Amino acid sequence: MLQPSVDSSLEENKKLKRRWERERTARLEAESIAERGLRQLYEKKEQLRLLGAIAVAANESATIEELLHLTLVKISETSEWQLGHAYLVKLIHKQRRLISTQIWSDIDREWMIAFRRATEAMESASDTGLPGRVLSTGKTAWIADLSTEQNCAKAESVRLKGIKASFAFPVFAGGEVAAVLEFVSERFTVPDEFFLQLMAEIGTQIGRLIERKRTEEQLIHDASHDPLTKLPNRALFMDRLTRALVRNKRFPDASFAVLFIDLDRFKVVNDTLGHNAGDALLIQVAARISASLRQEEMLARCGTELDSQRETLARLGGDEFTVLLDEPHDPSQVVRVADRIQKGLAQPFCIAGNEVSVCASVGIATSATGYDSPAEVIHDADLAMYRAKSLGGSCFVIYDESIHALGVNRLQVETNLHRALQNGEFVLHYQPIVELRTGEIVGFEALIRWRRPDSELIYPDQFMKVAEETGLINLIGAWVLREACTVAHQWQQEFPRERPLTMSVNLSGRQFSQHDLVQQVCQVISDTCVAPGTVGLEITESVTMDDTDRTAGILSELAALGISFSIDDFGTGFSSLSYLHRFPIRVLKIDRSFVARIEADGEGLAIVRTIVNLARDLGMEVVAEGIETEGQAMHLQALRCKFGQGYLYSRPLDETSAHLLLQTQSANVPPRRKRRCPKQSVPTGMPSRNTPQVTGRALPYFDSLVVTCPMKSQPV
Amino acid sequence: MKGIVFNLLEEVVAHNYGEDTWDQVLAATGLNGAYTSLGSYPDEDMRELVAVAAQIVGRTPFEVLRWFGTQAIPLLFDRYPGFFTPQSSTRPFLLSVNNIIHPEVRKVYPEAQVPTFEFTEDQAGGLLMGYRSPRRLCALAQGFTEGAAAHYDETVVFEHRECMHRGDERCLCHISFSSDRSR
Repeated sequence: MLQPSVDSSLEENKKLKRRWERERTARLEAESIAERGLRQLYEKKEQLRLLGAIAVAANESATIEELLHLTLVKISETSEWQLGHAYLVKLIHKQRRLISTQIWSDIDREWMIAFRRATEAMESASDTGLPGRVLSTGKTAWIADLSTEQNCAKAESVRLKGIKASFAFPVFAGGEVAAVLEFVSERFTVPDEFFLQLMAEIGTQIGRLIERKRTEEQLIHDASHDPLTKLPNRALFMDRLTRALVRNKRFPDASFAVLFIDLDRFKVVNDTLGHNAGDALLIQVAARISASLRQEEMLARCGTELDSQRETLARLGGDEFTVLLDEPHDPSQVVRVADRIQKGLAQPFCIAGNEVSVCASVGIATSATGYDSPAEVIHDADLAMYRAKSLGGSCFVIYDESIHALGVNRLQVETNLHRALQNGEFVLHYQPIVELRTGEIVGFEALIRWRRPDSELIYPDQFMKVAEETGLINLIGAWVLREACTVAHQWQQEFPRERPLTMSVNLSGRQFSQHDLVQQVCQVISDTCVAPGTVGLEITESVTMDDTDRTAGILSELAALGISFSIDDFGTGFSSLSYLHRFPIRVLKIDRSFVARIEADGEGLAIVRTIVNLARDLGMEVVAEGIETEGQAMHLQALRCKFGQGYLYSRPLDETSAHLLLQTQSANVPPRRKRRCPKQSVPTGMPSRNTPQVTGRALPYFDSLVVTCPMKSQPV
Repeated sequence: MKGIVFNLLEEVVAHNYGEDTWDQVLAATGLNGAYTSLGSYPDEDMRELVAVAAQIVGRTPFEVLRWFGTQAIPLLFDRYPGFFTPQSSTRPFLLSVNNIIHPEVRKVYPEAQVPTFEFTEDQAGGLLMGYRSPRRLCALAQGFTEGAAAHYDETVVFEHRECMHRGDERCLCHISFSSDRSR
């Protein structure tokens, strides 16, 4: 009985021991599983912390490089991947390649040094390697055991020598792979789902920073470039010019030249084809100039080593372009470039189906002049450009001693006059011409004024000489004629009379010598619809003295249209009575200097009397200029001088004031005056009858309207 | 103290003196003896267990702790070979305690109160190891060191130059390696 009981209790004992062993083993297993779980939990917490740190760094990092370094270090610290490296995608020969950033996680082992050396020695990451695969697929990839990898190129297997596992993931920016991060380990390692997700999120964070940096770069680029032509803008050009200037100061051999390019006739394209066409033209012009510069650069570099681009083409605004030639290869290169640009632009452009021809005036300033500031360089190149324009355009002028000799002030005035014309800064003032006996306005003399941007009013004596010398007078004069005729037509329509109001316009000698003067005048008459019989052109005696045959021809042609001519300032020049006979002159204007002396001495009175008599004998009318006193007016009337103008009646008025004057006078015309004054023949450009009355003292209201008081009005 | 230390003590005692001896120790202390490596238990429990075990086997607590440490190393190697294999000998293994082993312990058991040893090297190639802990387990440290030496097939001479048990502010142990292959 005892034996079985002992046996069974021994058996029971063994069974219990086996159970206890099982329990113990299970406990140890459970503890081990739990420890692994705790270890993983720790890693994941660390990795989440890593993601947080990278997210913070992505928001705070000054550079992409900083963030990449931090990411590589942190990932290698908190994962099995011992060594990390970053590649950035760059466009090389239009192909997207992975280029080593040379940014690594911490390197503290021999194999890491070897791997880095092999990686950095590659021009770009191999297409067959893991990073290359990530670039082409845009997907994360890993090789848990490199020894099983069959398709490795030789170079790649050399690079991966001693490495057991590799892993790479992409960083996306703007929808494209912008960077690839590669990790390797000398242990067999498989990334788990959590890790892959974490890396994807880290990739997103880095991608955001790359996008932000790109946006910043774009903003900086936009701030320094012209949005239309994509060329550097004024700010960037001035910056480069400043650098060239500093270099030139330090190393006098480091010369430079600035070409100031302005399109001739751009405004015409803009006005006739519209702003879109103008913009399209500017884009094409920018491309042409760029092409000319590239061509020049290629030729200049022929046989020499390639260096960085030596020129900056910029758009300063409007149709103004500038080129900075930094250290030209030889002095003739500057001229060659200017020539090439002009030839390039001379070919017609095709703008919205229209063939458009423009050409360019180029002004050049070189460091040889010795400048202290970029503004001075631009200023002189600008002056030279306007000189080129004055010379007829489509040419270039180098700012040098000869230009300098023209006088800086004169050049400045010339430049400003060009601008004034472009910007519509010129205005016309109108001085009434009256019938002395009745005080009626019979017409106006148009007088040019220059309203500067600072609203200062400039009188012609300050700029007409330069305009005449530079030839700008032709452009200005053409504008004056067109404007005066336009206004005359308006007033004639608004204030219709039996004898319409006349408009006198001054014509300078240089204008008179234009070969197409007759066509120009015809064109204006036709465009403005003014009656030619109401337009008078005032010329000086000197104009008529040169080439009298030609003068006679032109005057006759224009007179045949109905236009009348006055001799301005009669008696002050080298008068030759013979021309009065030969030319179709209808009015003599007595110079203000004679009128001023009419009361003072007998000589003055005698001259005026002679002129009036001469005119009457030749069948001409007389207008006395510069009448300022009642006494002068009485003397003139006594001499049977019929018409006059001067401050006694009205100073020159701006268009609005002159218009108001006409309105007032029109309302005050007494009907009986019309009956009392019989019609008489009035030469064109002369007062006609039945016009509002003007008396000097009757105009205080209009006097007060005129703010400025010209000392002397110089005829145009 | 981490449960693993209690588990190791139980294993070492049971293995050398039998399960009954361990039951005897537990019975004498009145502790229930249910320890898991995942838990932490009062330092006092360990002190009592060692004291009782010392009585039963007729040794001092110091000797029991030292013996326990020596015996525990092979068991630790079974569970955590990763702490041993990267090192080639006792000396770098000891130096890895502060920088690798204890940080790893804290990754799994953030609440673990692991000691920090102050190592200084002497000119002869020995190590001076400073130790401060209210647990005053310098004997266990000696046992672990000697167990590690056995693992790396080395012998060490472990000398307690200063000792908290003798009223010193800290323990300062000198370890010389008789066959130091790392040097």
